[in-house]
Order: sequence, then C-alpha cells, then structure tokens
Amino acid sequence: MKQKETQEEGNILFVGIDLGTSRSSISASNGTRQWIESYVGWPKDFISLQVVGKPVLFGADALKHRLSLDLCRPLEHGVIKEGVEKNEEAVKEIIKYLIELAKPEPEQKIYAVVGVPADTLKVNKLAIRRAVSEFAHSLMVVSEPFAVAYGLNLLNNSLVIDIGAGTTDLCIMHGAIPSEEDQKTIVNAGDYIDEQLYSYLTEKFPNSKFNKNMVRQFKEKYSFVREIAGDIRVEIPVDGKPVMHDIKNEVKRACESILPALIETTTEMIARFDPEFQTKIKNNIVLAGGGSLIRGLSEYLRDALKEYGPCNVTCVEDPLFAGSNGALKLAQDMPAKYWEPLQEVKS
Amino acid sequence: MLPINSKRRELKAREAILRGVYEDNLKIIGGQSAAPDWRIPLFVKKMILFYSVLLLTILGQGSYLDLPLFPERQMAAGIITQEQQPLSPPEADENQITSSDYQEFLGSAPLSRMFGLGVKTIMIDAGHGGDDPGTAGKMGTKEKDITLDIAKKLKERLKRRGSYNIIMTREEDITLPLNKRVELARASKADIFISIHLNYLPSKPINIIETYYFGPSSDVKTLRLAEQENAGSQYGLSDFKDIIEKMGKTLKLQESKELAASIQKNLFINSKKKNNSIHNLGIKRAPFVVLLGVDIPAVLAEVSCLSNRQEEIELSFESHRENIARYIEAGILDYLNKGDTNYEAKRNTGRR
Ligand SMILES: Nc1ncnc2c1ncn2[C@@H]1O[C@H](COP(=O)(O)OP(=O)(O)O)[C@@H](O)[C@H]1O
Ligand SMILES: [Mg+2]
Ligand SMILES: [Zn+2]
Repeated sequence: MKQKETQEEGNILFVGIDLGTSRSSISASNGTRQWIESYVGWPKDFISLQVVGKPVLFGADALKHRLSLDLCRPLEHGVIKEGVEKNEEAVKEIIKYLIELAKPEPEQKIYAVVGVPADTLKVNKLAIRRAVSEFAHSLMVVSEPFAVAYGLNLLNNSLVIDIGAGTTDLCIMHGAIPSEEDQKTIVNAGDYIDEQLYSYLTEKFPNSKFNKNMVRQFKEKYSFVREIAGDIRVEIPVDGKPVMHDIKNEVKRACESILPALIETTTEMIARFDPEFQTKIKNNIVLAGGGSLIRGLSEYLRDALKEYGPCNVTCVEDPLFAGSNGALKLAQDMPAKYWEPLQEVKS
Repeated sequence: MLPINSKRRELKAREAILRGVYEDNLKIIGGQSAAPDWRIPLFVKKMILFYSVLLLTILGQGSYLDLPLFPERQMAAGIITQEQQPLSPPEADENQITSSDYQEFLGSAPLSRMFGLGVKTIMIDAGHGGDDPGTAGKMGTKEKDITLDIAKKLKERLKRRGSYNIIMTREEDITLPLNKRVELARASKADIFISIHLNYLPSKPINIIETYYFGPSSDVKTLRLAEQENAGSQYGLSDFKDIIEKMGKTLKLQESKELAASIQKNLFINSKKKNNSIHNLGIKRAPFVVLLGVDIPAVLAEVSCLSNRQEEIELSFESHRENIARYIEAGILDYLNKGDTNYEAKRNTGRR
C-alpha cells in the first residue's frame, strides 16, 4: 500500500505529531515514539532560571517546577490566559521539542503531518501551520480523530470517538476526507470528569483535603462505568492523618456524566446516513484517546446504541500513540508530488 | 479485516483521502487548488439586491400598503447607481453617529445604571453556527467558527471581572435560528445583548469595522448586509415595519446606540493601532432580526472582515481573536460603568 518513494527517501524523516490538549506525542519513520504532557513553562525570572537551569521546560519536568515557572497548557479547552501570544509560543516550543525527541539526522528533511483537535483546526489552521513550519520542511495539518481513523485503516464505514482531556471528537469515515458534517466536537471529556469527581468528593467528604491533581489520579487509576466487582478505597488526609475513603459511587457517577451528550451526538451523527450505511457504521465504532481507558465504556455504548440495531464498539490498542501513528502513516503514504507544493521556504 | 473484493475500493478511497488532505492544506497556504470559489454567484447578488431595494422602499415609505411597484427596468437602473456609490467616508453617512448625536446622549444616564448595583447579565451571541456557516474567507475560514471563538473569549474575560453574569446563545457549533436567539435573549432577563459577526466585502480589498443597532436604514449596503444576516429567519418584512414604528425613540433605541458607540470606539481605536489601514464605518442602524426582538440594549458588531486576505490570516492567530474580544470587553465596560468615577479614574490611568 505504501507509495513508491524517490531515491531521496533516506534523506527524509517522516513524522506524525498528535498535538493534544493534555498530551502530545510524536511517531517518526526512524522508529521513535515519544510523548510529553502538553505543558510548557518558562522561568519567571533570573533566579528561577538559575534554579531550573533551562530557558524552557516541558511536560512532567515543567509541572515539577511549576512554582518557578510561567506555566502554559496551550490547547486547553476554555482557558484563556492573559497573554495568548504565549499560547502560540508554547505550541511552537512543543513542536520543536517533539521533533528534537525524534532525533533527525542533521541533513535530513522533515516532512510532518500534525493532528490537532477538530475545533482548534477550524480557527487556528494557519497559526498552527506557521508554528510548525519553522521546524519542518513540508507539512500538513489534519484533524486528530481523522488521523486516528486513517492509522487504523478505518477509511470507510466507521466512526471514531476520541475522548481526550478538553474535548471528545467524533469523526465518521466514508471513503473520503471527512467533511465538516462528518465531524463533531463536544466539550464533555476528561477534564469534565475531573471537575465532576472533584465536586462529588468535596460534597461527600467536606473535611478531607483534595486537589485537582489527586482527583485526576484517582480517576485514571479507578475509572469505570456500569458495574465492577470490589470496592474503590483511597487514602486521603483528614487533619493531617491519612484516612481511607470509599469513592466507588462518585467515580462511577463522574465517568458516566459524559455519556448522555456522547450518546446523543453519536445517534444524531449516525442518523444522517441511510439505513444500510448506518448498520455498517454501527459495526465499526472505535474509541480512542485517554478516555477510552475507562473500564466498561465500550460495553456501555454498545448497550446504549443497541435499540437502533446491533452494534460493535472496540477500543484502540494504544491510545497514547494512535493519533501520532496515524499521522505518521498519512505522512508515509502521501505521494511526493503532494509534499513538494507544501514545502516551506527556508530563509 | 476487509473482504478481498473491497480492496480496490479501499485503494481508491485512500487516494481520494490523501488528495483531500493535500488540497485542504494547499488552500490554507493560499495555493491554487480545486477548492470552491466563495464568490457569490451573480443571480444570488441580484436576488439580494432585489430584496434590499424592496425592503428599502418599504422602510422608506413607512407603510407596507403604499408600496409602489417599480417597472423592472427602472429598478435595475436604481440598483446600478446605488452600486457605484463609493464607500462613503464616516462623516458623510447619515446613519453615522455624529458629535451632536453623541452630545444628545451624554446627558442621559445609561439604562444599565437603573438596574442598581445588582449583578448584570450580559448575553453574547456568536453569529451563525451549524448548518449556517455565515461568510467564508478564501482559505476556508468560516464566520461561524471565528464568531464562536471570539464570543467564548469575551465570555471568559467578562467572567473574570467577577461582577457579571454571562450567557451565550450558543457555545458549540450548532444551528440556531435567529428567532430562537431572540427567544433566548428574551427569556434570559439579560441586561444587554451583543451579537458578534464578521463582514464580507466581495469587491473591496479593505478591512472595516462597524457596529449596528436596530432601526430603519436607508442605505442599500446596510440593507444588503441585513438581508444576509437575517437569512433563514422566519420573520417577514411586515414584522420589521410594525416593530420599528412601535419602537420610535424608546429608551432601548437610545441605549443601544450608546452601547454600539462604545463598542465601536474601542474596537476601532485599538484595532487601528495594530493595523493602520482599517476603516471606521462607525455605528449604524439596521433591521437585523436578532436585534429587533430583544427588549434590552442590543447591538450587532461586525468586528472584522473575512474578505480581506491579510485579515483572514490574522484571524487564524489566537492573539488577534483575543484582542478583538478585549476591545469588545472594553466597549461593554465603558458603557456599563459610564459615570462611575471610580471606574473612569482607573480607566484613565490604564489600570483596567
Ligand atoms: N485510565 C484512564 N481512565 C480515564 N481517563 C483517563 C485514563 N487515562 C487517561 N485518562 C484521561 O484522558 C485524558 C487525556 O487523554 P488524551 O487522549 O491524551 O487527551 P488529549 O488528546 O486531549 O491530549 C485526560 O483527561 C486523562 O485524565
Ligand atoms: Mg488526542
Ligand atoms: Zn454574520
């Protein structure tokens, strides 16, 4: 299936980048797979610079030194900080850093496909292109759920549901590049679950000390919908002493809180097609993104959609790299004649 | 996973998809592509002109029943002269706010202050949405996406002030008919209503900013724009006339004009600092459906211009959209806080 490459191939490093609201990853044709949390931090002042020893920090490294840094999560949904010029700068830094992680050879040209959340793409197309263009010789920007679908070979009769942190992106594939109607974004995703869980827990245990970070870790460790066996108990300090708390019910409620909107949007999107195609799509629903790790989610959706006929819901194997792998596959399959007109003029 | 006999179809699909990705990206950087041309076809233009002239006649005559029927040729001649009018400079426009107009309002206390010290509710309306994309730039940027993004940014900014209640007519890319927006605004008990839109000037490579409040207009270009922005509403021409008559010189009309002036001033002066070639078309009256059904001060701001190539590029930068939100915010705050000495002192020292 792979296109015949020119003799230049060895001199080109193809990279697929998934620019996520919470995590960004890169997959490269030299085999590199790397990811970082989508945080960028700059030292607040000269002293901080001395402390952290670097002009810019990323991901977990940035989070660790958060007190000394101006921290930025550039694609985070709905949060707009005073200086958004910084957001744009942060996107650049993330791209640059990811490409460095891919370790291109000095003389190698970089051809990049970058997947971004569908909503971001609508209004930031050119800005994203500019941010990447400094670090790539030729590049294409695509919507993230589409990259996932392409990577899984789901070119036709399928629906990809990418549950990320800031948004859930849905994308129907029918043998062509998806149009706007084939893609929908809803704002109920991982961050929303965190907020719900936080408020349920503070309500139930008003004397215990939580923070948003702890709550997210609980979620990532114990997330489930429907029923599971056993208790979920976590240690949380009360008056400085660790105390066990039963949070099973709250985890379930929080995880299920994103489902009504998701099911409504899914049925709406499928309903637009004729019955024969509807049946096909329903047999090919794929969950991606960090949210697809919620236990019982695929079964829940399968049952919820059952009243409209049988359906089959699966999860991607590697949610962290499904987007960047798909973008890489796009990059490698793309004929050379399409790369050339999109080359960036290097000064 | 796929049956063998569908391999060929898959190959074709893959080719189509790869070409689609390429063409999309070529369009972003403004290269030649098979992308559709966004120019409005001639017959649509003619239709818009026809209705504009009809509307103009009705509003101008002040009576639906007195509508004279133009012979077609005569009307066409009328259209041509209107079309050839150069874009009038601000001073020459009768719908333009003038210094004496301004004077007229300086004395009156803003309506907002009559609400006392309670939390004020601001309703933000992101123009278009869902099946209705609004206008589109040459790179494919859609009005509905930009208006939503600016509206969200404006909401966040005003929320951070801590003293306002902010409501949006839509927060996602959904189809929302104009009458539904009007209903939402009426039901929400909002104190002011701001609708955000982008302009499109097919024949002029310029960038303009203008802000509208509801009222009769006799300007063909304005009516044409109103016709575009009203498309898809279920209101008939006779609805306009009735309401305009009833409204007369009500408090709402005056307050809307003042709010429009405040937003326009902030938008223009600040945008001008960044882009010297921007044109100030000032504030104008226009029969926009979204404005007419709302009982509170209501304005429609055309905050930027998608037909302008450079402006379309700028709009793809978050910082530019944030700035537009910032200027609208400043316009709203100036209006709501007019006469508050504390606020004005702070404003003048620039610590807002
Ligand atoms: N096991 C898990 N259960 C539930 N949610 C999870 C799990 N692991 C990660 N997540 C959530 O998934 C989201 C990140 O998903 P990701 O696809 O990387 O997002 P994005 O593409 O928006 O950066 C976060 O909200 C994270 O908390
Ligand atoms: Mg993602
Ligand atoms: Zn509009």
